[in-house]
Amino acid sequence: MAGRWMDLGHYGAEGIPGRLALAHGIDRMVTGIESPVTTERGLAARLRYLTASGTGYEAMDRAGIRITPRTLIAWLAEERTPNPANLARLDTAYWDLRRHNVATDLKRRLNNHSRGTRIEIDPVDQSHVEGRHQRALETRTLNVRGVWDTAIDAWLTGDEQTLDATWDEIITGLGSDYDAYTNVASVGWAA
Amino acid sequence: MTDQPQGLFDAIDSLLQAVDDNTLLPAPAERIRLRKAAGLTEAAVAQALGVRVQSIQAWEAGRAEPKGQRLEAYRRLLDGLAHRYPAPDTPSAPTASTHPEATATPAPEAGPPGTADAANAATAPQSQQPPSDLTPPENAAPRPADSITVAPDLAAQTAWGPDGRALQGEPGPCIRCGAETAYRSTDGHPLHAGAMCQPLTPATTPPSAGTPAPAPKAAGTPTAPPSPAPVASPTPAPVPSRPQRRAKSAARAQAETSSLIHQAVHEELERADGDTEAALKALTKRAIPDVMAMFDETRATARYTYTAYPALPDILKKPSKREPDQIWEARPNFHHPGYSLKIPGSVQVTALDANAAYLSALKCWLPIGKLEHTPGTDGVGPKRSGVHLITPAPWHHPHLPDPLGDRDEPGALWVTDATLRLLLRLAGPKHGLADRPTVHESWTSGATENFLDALRKTLAAARETAIEQEDTITLEYVKAMYSKFVSTMGESIHNRDMVRPDWMHLIHSQAYANLWGKAYKAHQAGLDIIAMTGTDELHVTGDWRQVFPEGRGLAQMKIKHSDAKASGEYTVGTVAR
Repeated sequence: MAGRWMDLGHYGAEGIPGRLALAHGIDRMVTGIESPVTTERGLAARLRYLTASGTGYEAMDRAGIRITPRTLIAWLAEERTPNPANLARLDTAYWDLRRHNVATDLKRRLNNHSRGTRIEIDPVDQSHVEGRHQRALETRTLNVRGVWDTAIDAWLTGDEQTLDATWDEIITGLGSDYDAYTNVASVGWAA
Repeated sequence: MTDQPQGLFDAIDSLLQAVDDNTLLPAPAERIRLRKAAGLTEAAVAQALGVRVQSIQAWEAGRAEPKGQRLEAYRRLLDGLAHRYPAPDTPSAPTASTHPEATATPAPEAGPPGTADAANAATAPQSQQPPSDLTPPENAAPRPADSITVAPDLAAQTAWGPDGRALQGEPGPCIRCGAETAYRSTDGHPLHAGAMCQPLTPATTPPSAGTPAPAPKAAGTPTAPPSPAPVASPTPAPVPSRPQRRAKSAARAQAETSSLIHQAVHEELERADGDTEAALKALTKRAIPDVMAMFDETRATARYTYTAYPALPDILKKPSKREPDQIWEARPNFHHPGYSLKIPGSVQVTALDANAAYLSALKCWLPIGKLEHTPGTDGVGPKRSGVHLITPAPWHHPHLPDPLGDRDEPGALWVTDATLRLLLRLAGPKHGLADRPTVHESWTSGATENFLDALRKTLAAARETAIEQEDTITLEYVKAMYSKFVSTMGESIHNRDMVRPDWMHLIHSQAYANLWGKAYKAHQAGLDIIAMTGTDELHVTGDWRQVFPEGRGLAQMKIKHSDAKASGEYTVGTVAR
């Protein structure tokens, strides 16, 4: 993490680390089954997605679903419903697999034929900071390119360190006060 | 207009002929052709006639025939359409007899002579239409000297084929604007389809030759320009009391922005080969990116940079895609308790419709930056906007709609600034209708009323022009642009250029507040409010025309026709106490 703003909130500023804002932004791009797993429809759709390929079974393994083939068939035939713990695991497994499957598409959209994506960075909320401690920060927009593959891979594996390094790389493009954008209120883009 | 009596006689003759044949309406195929030529959907016709879409389909398929008033109305519609879109392959007997020179250039597709029904539909219009080779004398004088050899013919009409597509021929200079086009007019000259020419000069617009005069302007407008200015300009006419823009660049930028609409329609019409339905479909599809581009264009030299992706407070976050956030938009659903549709009675009610309610509501106070939290009433101010947690004062006027809409549960709620402004206004000395609401906390930001104003003006001007020229494609395109702009500016996968649910809520509730204002105006004029629902529906008793100007303009009201029982003009009974 870059910057001298190590102690965010000391004077009342509110924000989140840039890497988190970046991850939230990528999260927003992922779409999938809308019905919750607790509904019949949502459960059936998730099971169908997870059992359609070998990677689906791997995802279930990763999520810690330990069941016999008999149980899985009973779930698919809607003879039995999973217990709440397994429902939560199925949901985790579904979104895990979904993220893996859309990652390529996200990279393509964000790289935009290596033209990159223009992002908007909203600075930390200083409304509760005493006037003399406030910094003059404004909303910045910046075209970001060349880092999206790394960012998506880090987001996929939950590698916060790489994501943080990526964010630092992004904000150095802002100029001399890049430092003030280590923590931000939000980050957004259209891709 | 020397052929007018002749045309009249011919029309009467054809009418008599039709009575003899016992078929007053054109053939089913012709009905479809006329509707498609005008770019009307079945639903639009059904709504206008107050019938179901299935009925229209049955009439057009020849499975059924309209009766009574519907028959009259449907015939009137078809006659009107036949005037504008005459059958291309019908020999125009009356025109030929009076103006032999007009037939010197035969129609490009001289097909077999039309059936009796087609002739019936086509003879009357062609006789009334001025012969295209003759330019109306009032147009001759002010025409600028330009290099176009063919005199711009403003009365010429596009030739439409039986399949609803514009007819094409060898490309040549358009007789109206001079640019090359493959489309044909009814008399075989090159002419851009659907009057889609690039304008020559802003002044040379047709002085509404055959079309009926537009709806009367609002009586209240202080400066009704006497000069003929049918094309609505986004820049208002100079008012002496108002300071004018010093830079010409602003006006030029506005003109450029409004030409984007024109260009898009032109482009899609060309691409669809004159198939209006396909063009409209394509235009609807591109409405969101187009309106966002236009919005960016209007922000070009703007003073503030808005935040497109602000950090949102939890009250504005949707728990899931299906569930709403916590903001109460105050959507009205009011029915007067003293009247009922179920009781037979003789109280005359008119269902009115506010035109383009969301377009008007683009003028509202919108927060610029991200919303900041303030406790108490600190966030309430004339130059701030956002959402507020309030406890409303009780509403004691059962004959007037509650400005907060139909609420089931009591207690505090989050409302937008537009609603709060209305509530505060009603608590003020001028109205004194209720007590002030208690504001507990707010999420607000510094606000401006002008964010979307340039966009609103551009779209409103395009809409007005489209209505005057009866250009359904542009009208529908503009409608798709502003309605989709408002509905997708929040969290939507269809529009990722902006995530401002607060703006969306503000514009919605501004529209409802505007409707409440209209209801109050009617109430003050002595009319009873029977119902106020949705975004734009207002049902009143009595003579509403004294209160609201009638028409399709933004400041006007029109009668709302729909499939519902309570639409158009209907009667209700008084509830016994």
